[in-house]
Amino acid sequence: MQLQNRIAHISVFTAATVSLFVIESLIPRPVPGIRFGLANIFILLVLLNYGYKEALLVGILKSVIGSIVIGRLFTPSFLLSISGTIVSVTIMGIAVRYGRGLSLMGISILGAESHTITQVLIISVLFLGKASLSFLLPPFVLLSLVTGSITGISAYWLYTKLERKVEVA
Amino acid sequence: MLKLQSNNRYRPLKIGDFVIILIFLSALFFIPRVEGKKVRVIVDKEKEFIYPLNEDRILKIEGKIGIIMIEIKDGRVRVIESTCPLKICMKMGWIKNKGEQIVCVPNRILICIEGEQFDAITE
Repeated sequence: MQLQNRIAHISVFTAATVSLFVIESLIPRPVPGIRFGLANIFILLVLLNYGYKEALLVGILKSVIGSIVIGRLFTPSFLLSISGTIVSVTIMGIAVRYGRGLSLMGISILGAESHTITQVLIISVLFLGKASLSFLLPPFVLLSLVTGSITGISAYWLYTKLERKVEVA
Repeated sequence: MLKLQSNNRYRPLKIGDFVIILIFLSALFFIPRVEGKKVRVIVDKEKEFIYPLNEDRILKIEGKIGIIMIEIKDGRVRVIESTCPLKICMKMGWIKNKGEQIVCVPNRILICIEGEQFDAITE
């Protein structure tokens, strides 16, 4: 693929990811810290169609641009978002590369879980000084299982649609 | 054809997915059980009694059809005697964790264990 083409494609995916991230931040949630992680859908697609480096780029851009838009740049939640994204994209990249028996659902669950666990660990270690939030881990892990599955199934659905479109074009 | 195969590569619910789901479902076993601090006894939705769990005592409470005897010992609660026909409340045995309950339907008695007023998050 040509370089310009590649840049254009990545930009479109970045725009889509940031939009989903911002829209999701507008949805009120009962408990802080619980999100669907819908932006992960597009990061997964980038990971499958372009590769790990591009997905990492889109993920970091999502955190930076999204935080600027919702006004949380350089706050603790920005730090949590960007570190969770980097870890989860890395884990998903490894899963795509070596996980033969994994579908998009499994990969997405891995991503959601690593995102959650990283965040809980960072809050515990950096902000509270000791691992005192570990009692929150089991319920969050179970929630991520649900949200990760939903994201993975949506990503698979979008993946098949996109691929068909590309074939026709 | 090649495209179709690459589609199937990511079709949900492959064997590896179940392995991952099972691994993370095991978090169910690690959900922390919070030991209760108080026991609340509610009789017929009207009368309420609250006792601390750390003092041993035996309560006699009059329910709808008779007297029910509740024992508090070592931070646990059980029903030791009841006049109800099926004795389900007695068969429930000891309860001690926050959120656990014993119900005696014929007597309209609900025994539930509660924690502190505040929890760890607000703390």
